[in-house]
Amino acid sequence: MSEPLTLDLVDQDGAIREAYEEGFSRSALFRRAVVGGGTFVAGGLLVGGLPRVALGKPSAAQDGKILNFALLLEYLESEFYVDAVNKGALLLEPRLLSFAMTVRDHELAHVEFLRQALGGAAIAKPAFDFKGTTEDAEKFAATALVLEDTGVAAYNGQGPRLRARTLPAAAQIVSVEARHAAWIRHIVHGPGYAGGKKTHPAPAAFDRALSKSKVEAAVAATGFIQG
Amino acid sequence: MRFDIETLDADGALRETAEAAAGDTRARFLAKAGLLGGGLVGSAALLTPEVADAARRGGRKGDVAILNYALTLEYLEAAFYTRAERKGALSGELALFAEVVGAHERAHVKALKQVLGRKAVARPRFDFQGTTEDAGQFAATAQVLEDTGVAAYAGQAPKVKADAILEAALAIHSVEARHAGWIRDISGEDPAPEAFDEPLTKKQVLAAVGATGFIVPRRRGG
Repeated sequence: MSEPLTLDLVDQDGAIREAYEEGFSRSALFRRAVVGGGTFVAGGLLVGGLPRVALGKPSAAQDGKILNFALLLEYLESEFYVDAVNKGALLLEPRLLSFAMTVRDHELAHVEFLRQALGGAAIAKPAFDFKGTTEDAEKFAATALVLEDTGVAAYNGQGPRLRARTLPAAAQIVSVEARHAAWIRHIVHGPGYAGGKKTHPAPAAFDRALSKSKVEAAVAATGFIQG
Repeated sequence: MRFDIETLDADGALRETAEAAAGDTRARFLAKAGLLGGGLVGSAALLTPEVADAARRGGRKGDVAILNYALTLEYLEAAFYTRAERKGALSGELALFAEVVGAHERAHVKALKQVLGRKAVARPRFDFQGTTEDAGQFAATAQVLEDTGVAAYAGQAPKVKADAILEAALAIHSVEARHAGWIRDISGEDPAPEAFDEPLTKKQVLAAVGATGFIVPRRRGG
C-alpha cells in the first residue's frame, strides 16, 4: 500500500509538537511506570472497571500527550518482539516465530511513524527488562496476547480524545493491533478453545476501552520498563 | 454484550448524563462526561437511544447517515453468517467462526437499530450467490467482508460528531479487525498484512458491495 500516514497528516502546522513541548514532562509517566514489579496478570488487566475515558476537550496539546502515550506502548511492544526473535526461543515454534517477526516489523513501523509525528517532542525509548518472557515460547505467547489486547483497549480509549485530524492515524493502527490480538489468540487457544468464549480471537461483540491511567498501571505492574 | 442500560449503568449516571446532554454542545457534553469519573460503563453501552436523540437534536444528521451506512454493512455481514450457519456446509473451526462472528454481527445490528430507532434503514434482501453453501467460498468471502468492514469503520470514525457514537464505533471497529485476523489465520493467509490498515471511503465500500451482487432489489409489493 502507499504510505498513508505522514507527519503532515497528523501535525500539519507543528501545533502538536509546540504545545507538547510547553506543557508535559515525561518523567512523571516514567516514575509511575517503574513503581511496579512482577509479572503480567492476564486476567486482571481487562476485567477491571471501564471508566468513561473522554476527559478534556481535544486539542493539539492533548494529541501530543496521547501520541507519546501510544509511542511508549509501541516502544514496549516492538522491543518485546525484537528481543524474543533475537533470543531464539521461538525457533522451534514456526507459527509463533512467524507471528513475532511480522508483528515486530509492524510495531517498529508504528514507532517510526509516531516519532516522526512528534518530532522533537517524542519521548526517548526507555530501557526494558522483559523478565524472561522473551526467552520462553509459552511465556512469550501469553505475554504477547496481553500486550496486544491492551494495545487495542488503549487506542480505543484514546480515540475520542483525539482531534478529528489525528484520529485517522490512530484508527489505522488500532485495527492492526486487533489483528495481532486475534492472531496470537488463535495460535494460543485455537482451534479447540478449551477456555471457552473468553479465549476466542474475538471474545466479545464490542471491544473494551481502557483509560490511560489503567493502561499505565497495567504496564507498571509488569516491571518491564526500567526507566 | 447486551445493550441493557440497567445492567451496565447501575448507578444511573449514564442515563442522567445522556438526558442532560440532549441539545447540549459537544464541549459542554464532554465537560459533564468528565465529571462522571466513577461511572463504570462499557463504551458500547453509551450507544443508547438517549444519546442518539442528543446527537440528532444537536443537528447531527451526519452521524445518522454514518450509523445507517454502518447498519447496512452489519445487516449484510449478519445475514451472511446466519445463512451460512443454516446451510450447514461448514465444519471445525470455520463453523465456530461463523457462529461466533454471526452473533457479534447480529449484536451490532441490534445496537445500531436501537440507536437509530425509526430512522434506521430497512434490512435489504440478500442473495449470497452460493458463497454460504461452500466452505472455501465462505472463507474467502468472509475475509473480504471483514477486511472491508475494518476499512469502512476506519473511514467513517473521524467524521463522527457525537463522542458516545464514536466510542461505540471504535468498539465495533476493532472487533471487525479481530474477525479479519481470525478468518485470515484459519485460511492460511497473513492475519495482519500491513503495518497500517488503509481506510476506505463510503463510495469505495458501496461500490465494492454493489459489485458482489449480494444486495438484490426488493420484490414488488414486498
